[in-house]
Amino acid sequence: MKKYFSIAILFIILFLLGSISISAKVDIGGELAASLISIIDNEGDIFAYPQESLDLELFLPAFNNTQAKFEIYLYNNPLSGGFDYLLKKLYLKHKFEKFHLTIGRQPISWSFSSMLNPVDFSLGAMVMDEETGAKYQDAIEGYMPLNWNTSISVVAALPENSQDIKWGLRGRTVIEGYDLTLNYVQESEQEVAGIFIPTSRRIGFTGKGDLGPLGVYGSLGYYFKANENGDFLYQIGSDYSYFFEAGNKVYLQLEYLSMKQENLSSVLGPYFSGNITNNLDNQIGLLLGLVNYEINEFSQVSLMAISSLNDGSMIIIPGYHNQLSNNLSFDLNIAIYSGKKGTLFGSNVLEGTQQIPEGMIEVGLTYSF
Amino acid sequence: MRKVKGLLLIGIIISILITNFVVITAAELTAEEIIYQRDNNEYFDSVKIEAEMIIVSGGRKITKTMVALSDKKNSLVEFTNPQDRGTKFLKREDDLWMFFPDAEGIVKISGHMLNQGMMGSDFSYQDIMESDKLTDLYDFKIIGEEEIDSRPCYVLEGVARESVKVSYYRRVSWIDKERFIGLQEELYAQSGKLLKETKVKEVQEIEGRWIPVDSVMENKLRKDTYTGFKIVQIDFNPEIPEGTFSLQNLR
Repeated sequence: MKKYFSIAILFIILFLLGSISISAKVDIGGELAASLISIIDNEGDIFAYPQESLDLELFLPAFNNTQAKFEIYLYNNPLSGGFDYLLKKLYLKHKFEKFHLTIGRQPISWSFSSMLNPVDFSLGAMVMDEETGAKYQDAIEGYMPLNWNTSISVVAALPENSQDIKWGLRGRTVIEGYDLTLNYVQESEQEVAGIFIPTSRRIGFTGKGDLGPLGVYGSLGYYFKANENGDFLYQIGSDYSYFFEAGNKVYLQLEYLSMKQENLSSVLGPYFSGNITNNLDNQIGLLLGLVNYEINEFSQVSLMAISSLNDGSMIIIPGYHNQLSNNLSFDLNIAIYSGKKGTLFGSNVLEGTQQIPEGMIEVGLTYSF
Repeated sequence: MRKVKGLLLIGIIISILITNFVVITAAELTAEEIIYQRDNNEYFDSVKIEAEMIIVSGGRKITKTMVALSDKKNSLVEFTNPQDRGTKFLKREDDLWMFFPDAEGIVKISGHMLNQGMMGSDFSYQDIMESDKLTDLYDFKIIGEEEIDSRPCYVLEGVARESVKVSYYRRVSWIDKERFIGLQEELYAQSGKLLKETKVKEVQEIEGRWIPVDSVMENKLRKDTYTGFKIVQIDFNPEIPEGTFSLQNLR
């Protein structure tokens, strides 16, 4: 069904392209990235491989309140040795007078500035500020604005790993300067990277605003269970920026998430699922932090960390970014995994599960066009 | 939209009049009247600007391009250069919203970010997107008369009014006597420290208005760094469809 869904959209876009006058402006843009990734395994051996990717987007002019988008991400897959792709966008959006309708492959993002989002439409879509690709869905979205800051959206998606429709409902408004959302998601059991994520119904509430000089945010979630009481989770976070005398700026963000261990794999993504074992406490507390320091207009260093307060394990992620020219940037990112065997972010895992290394270094260039 | 406004320091009404008459008349103006003239000139019902922001630091230069739309209270900026293409900012009153083109998500930006450099520039979000009249924010007085690039100017000092939220506690402005354009401005913190300095490099008469089309903001806290702002195209009072300054329009 999903295949036919995409093919139908592709035909619609081709039709649309054909109907656009020749003088209309069609543009192509994207990013070309090349990096070298070195992985240090838990025996101290280093395995390095190059990673190249091309993010290609077609910019089409709107046509009678209808907008078409196409974006594809091509990359060399170190597992298969060949090139692979991720279709990010292939959709049509029409803005009716009272609502917007979007049909096709599209990103569904319910982010609110947090580093982890336990109440997103697709859990694990954004982990530690890094996208995992899970937010791109074959879906139909209806979006109805009620005023400039208040809206209701309904999503019916066809997840890749499930035959059943995934439903989402989200309301958004602003009260006293606070951006508030209330959302509901219902999805069937699905398999992601060998891990079965059970049928899920969840309701989430998020808030984002200011408290004096601080930016503050939080979420409250409830994961329903079939025959027993559901699980509550909560998350609080804050951000702040400080200017030094020399004009340099440091940005700070701190976040705490408390949730049941059994729901963690969904939020952290499959990469850590091997470490989520019964050895861990039932209620997990995660502390996340980010420090970003601007060296000058073009370069900055950052330090991000996530730690399990239950077992003291953590991942430390230092980074460096330099905008070399208008279109060329340089990035260096390091991940250091720290923790004993059986801990959440420790490098040792059980047999048969994906191995978490002791460290990872990625150095690369990105060219935007 | 202080930045856009800052770039739109216009002396249009007076420029139509006989120069000598203007000089004589302007010489009798009070600080409030001068700023009022300047505010009147630069304060549009709505404006659309295509602009370039040139960030220079240590001999390196990066150019960002944008389209900005503003009315009396709200602003919408969309970046068009390859690296930031599709990134949008919406400012409504004191709230700032950002649209991320990749995720197509909209996030409310924390208030403290308003004073930070927009997209790595020396212009803050507040500089670029503020749309309040200066007369609503500051109390001004004349502190002298000087020439800037051979043009006679009033030198005015503005101090932030009590209980008004502003990015800069004090500002000193050199205002062209004939055209009522701010040719130079110094922006100070409450501590008295000079934070930024803006200078107008080129002024053009467009649609009967004098427009500073090329200006530079220098961050005085940093060495060897400044940001240029060039207006490529400007439309006064364009028709703005209902719902332009809304979250749904960011999508």
